[in-house]
Amino acid sequence: MILNVNGSRHEVEAGTRTLLEVLRDDLGLVGAKEGCGIGMCGACTVLVDGKPISGCLTLAEQVPGKEILTIESLEKNGQLHPVQQAFIDERAFQCAYCTPGFILSAVALLNENPNPSEDDIREYLSGNLCRCGSYQNILKAVVEAGKRLR
Amino acid sequence: MNPIKFLEPTNFTEAISLLDQHADDAKIIAGGVSVTLMLQQKLIAPSALISLGHISNYAFIRHEKDGLHIGALTKLRDIERSDVVKKFCPALAYTFSVVANVRVRNQATIGGNLSAADYAADPPAMLTALDARVQVQGAEKNREIHLSEFFLGFYTTALEPNEILTEVIIPTLPSSASAAYHKYTSISAEGRPCVAVGAVADFDNDRKCSDLRIAVGAAVETPQRVRDAETLAHGSTLTDELVAAIADEYSLRLDPLTDVRGSAWYRKEMIRVFVKRALEEVRCDR
Repeated sequence: MILNVNGSRHEVEAGTRTLLEVLRDDLGLVGAKEGCGIGMCGACTVLVDGKPISGCLTLAEQVPGKEILTIESLEKNGQLHPVQQAFIDERAFQCAYCTPGFILSAVALLNENPNPSEDDIREYLSGNLCRCGSYQNILKAVVEAGKRLR
Repeated sequence: MNPIKFLEPTNFTEAISLLDQHADDAKIIAGGVSVTLMLQQKLIAPSALISLGHISNYAFIRHEKDGLHIGALTKLRDIERSDVVKKFCPALAYTFSVVANVRVRNQATIGGNLSAADYAADPPAMLTALDARVQVQGAEKNREIHLSEFFLGFYTTALEPNEILTEVIIPTLPSSASAAYHKYTSISAEGRPCVAVGAVADFDNDRKCSDLRIAVGAAVETPQRVRDAETLAHGSTLTDELVAAIADEYSLRLDPLTDVRGSAWYRKEMIRVFVKRALEEVRCDR
């Protein structure tokens, strides 16, 4: 089975393992984390054909032929993605376990809706949980990233 | 243990013959949310997974003469965002917009959501109130099942082992009717409802209620209507007193379940509150 991850083709033997397990254990892409394991927390968010999904609720067998992007794909030539930079500038994390998921969800949101209201952001990111409670700074970071991307 | 086979038919006929070949031992997987969850929790151990991911032409939303037709493989997110659905019935688009989170809605399909028959879900209550029915394809024949006869119990539907849900049909509402969906979530970190209420009401020219359908889900095993309570509204204006009486009747008649989202007693109280709010919304529209 061939997976297209971050622009490269990878041959994997997935069985009925989840996309998250294959990304982490076979490909060494450990940016996506397992949090709840039931699609609730968003720590395992990855983009499949541009849309955020839960890596823990997707079987790797479901996604050959699709474009899979993880947090590792965002930095280009040593340059952080504007959403990543905004998270740093706004100090939008404490322990940072949830951060890759939040950043990928925010990237998808801003692709879909380049000028979201604060309510749009809250609604879209409501399925990403931050147990340190950095929500206010995350909100500021996404607003700021939106400005920089426009 | 033998590895689980992952089969990818390209049409429903092929999928059904694969189901037949594997008897009870195969599981259909569409978006994968529910099946992956059950596999991970070791609640199922099928010998094969029959993926519907390579079946095309069943992700559609069409407004036809007899109502709204939604293909079984349509993602919840596409229903939520569809202008056709928003125009057909805003409450229906809203119902899909409050399912779980955006990731689940990007993955989950309407056919999978209904076939999984998970009681703690949003669409079943609203679709039951809207009098929806499903198209089912089987080995020998196709048939239609009204949602009121589709859900049989926890994770159990009227689908035969070799049948697959292919389409959902929602009859067009009269222009004088209005619909509302009210969801009560008791655990902030998750999106599953503790109580789900779908309500549809139609009114005659003097604002008297001519038809009322209220389906309560999530608090009970399968979406439930209380016909005696609904008929209280017929021919009457939905006054505060009448709304309270109907909500009381729902609370009294339903036999809710107890789980992590609330006890049976608590749910009875919340059914009263959310049936009332749904009725106030459909009333307010007129």
